[in-house]
Amino acid sequence: MARIYVIDDDEQLLRMVGLMLERGGHTVTLISNPVDGLEQVRTDKPDLLVLDVMMPNLSGHDISREIRGNKHLEDLPILVLTARSQEIDRTTALKSGADDYLSKPVTSQELIERVDGLLAKKGGQKKQEEGVVVTLFGFRGGTGRTTLAVNLAAALRRVSQQEVCLVDLSPTGSQTVMHMRLQARSSWTELPDNLDWTALKERLVIHPSGLRVLAAPAKPVSPMLPSEENTRTILDILRHQMAFTVIDAPNVFSPAFVTAVSAADMTLHVVTPEVVSVQTAVQLNRLITKAGITVKRKSHILNQPTPESQLPQAAVERGLNTKVSFLIGYDTNQSRAMSQGVPLTLTSAKSPLPTVIKRMAEAIWQRVATQG
Amino acid sequence: MSIGARNLINLDLFTDAYRVTGRALVGTGGIHAELGNPNSKFLELQDAYISRIHEPGIIIANYKLASFRKDNINFIVLNDRRDGIPVGTQHGRSVFTRGRHIPAFLTVPSFEIQGEVIHEGKPSAREILVQSMGRFQLIFDAKASASSAPEISYSGDLILVQKERIGIFCLDLSQTP
Repeated sequence: MARIYVIDDDEQLLRMVGLMLERGGHTVTLISNPVDGLEQVRTDKPDLLVLDVMMPNLSGHDISREIRGNKHLEDLPILVLTARSQEIDRTTALKSGADDYLSKPVTSQELIERVDGLLAKKGGQKKQEEGVVVTLFGFRGGTGRTTLAVNLAAALRRVSQQEVCLVDLSPTGSQTVMHMRLQARSSWTELPDNLDWTALKERLVIHPSGLRVLAAPAKPVSPMLPSEENTRTILDILRHQMAFTVIDAPNVFSPAFVTAVSAADMTLHVVTPEVVSVQTAVQLNRLITKAGITVKRKSHILNQPTPESQLPQAAVERGLNTKVSFLIGYDTNQSRAMSQGVPLTLTSAKSPLPTVIKRMAEAIWQRVATQG
Repeated sequence: MSIGARNLINLDLFTDAYRVTGRALVGTGGIHAELGNPNSKFLELQDAYISRIHEPGIIIANYKLASFRKDNINFIVLNDRRDGIPVGTQHGRSVFTRGRHIPAFLTVPSFEIQGEVIHEGKPSAREILVQSMGRFQLIFDAKASASSAPEISYSGDLILVQKERIGIFCLDLSQTP
């Protein structure tokens, strides 16, 4: 999360840009008076400045020049955002000291990409050489596995401000895009044979938070899809491009499931406090052991997606023969969050689900950042 | 846009010596209709930011409101043609965008402009200038380059060129069917 100042005399646009950046997980300060804005930037030294050019009394170019002339602010990233959209305007903005340029009107996706690019370029945040893959799995339907995967990916994105991709490997229709109300133009069924980052990137949907999503096909396909080779290629590429890849694994013992679990640096087995769920989890654990799959850093999440709980935590742990690492109580906000298409971890809700998932994301990020 | 609705559009306006970026209030007929309005010799811009033509990136003055004599406007650059001409259609296509697309080259003081004219009928420069509606010629997918410094150029989905300021007007008929 970066502290971003936005200076624009058009208050309507100012609010809109502020909203876009907030949804991207940043803390935003909006300033409509350019003279006051320059003063505040000098005093507070934000992480990044978004600047309009055409403002009365003091233009954006003047502000850029002032900032570059100030020893304490010379490394402050400046993104110019202006209605003057010609090549000469871009050249002038860069000559004045801006690091990047965008012409209005701007989309949320463009803005967040440029802002994150600038933050990463300026070394504001460390980027890992190889990213971390986290796989969430569980064969019992209705455990809330997809909800947790969506929320964890969104929380990791918000906490780390690094590139995060959520991969939906479900062969039974794309649930993740529905959770976020995204329109997927493509899915893993349409990937070319010689897949590389450029081709894969084009097929990822970007949520306004900056989270990337590789969607599952909209309609159910063979449970044996995607193939082991395709899954491995996708994960290899994402591991090199993303700081975090969160996988919502299929709920069948398919080649994609095996690859997703064995390739993960961290696995989260989702169970609910009911007998059938615990029994299914026990059977699955046995199957994984029997198949000789090495599972790294496995944790169990006990999630309660319904108001009633059949089993207490102790009974679940006895059944699983292991401790539950994370306990998520029933969250009344979840059904509203789903209908609104906003993951709870991107809201200010203090209810059980976002509280636990944010804590989990912070712990994962801290561990990775310390190692980096 | 509903009938009678007016909205603000962004534009770049060029006179002999100045580039002005601002916003104009237009109706359903777009800026073309405002320029052709016989009841006013002036075009009003809000939030006008003025640059000299040889230093087009440097803003030398700005005003909340500015008026321009339509006679003195050489051309206007728009990012979106829908800001320039009526959005309504006749038989599925706007009367302004019906016909052959003909590559064109024309000059106004200090600038040369390249783009396309869209014309239905005999493709000659005279016919086009006489038959096209209004005092401004529409050039689509256009680029205006400064004659003395061609590296300074302005691109637009639509450029409206004052017909009376046109010095040279050439058409490339070889590329049209």
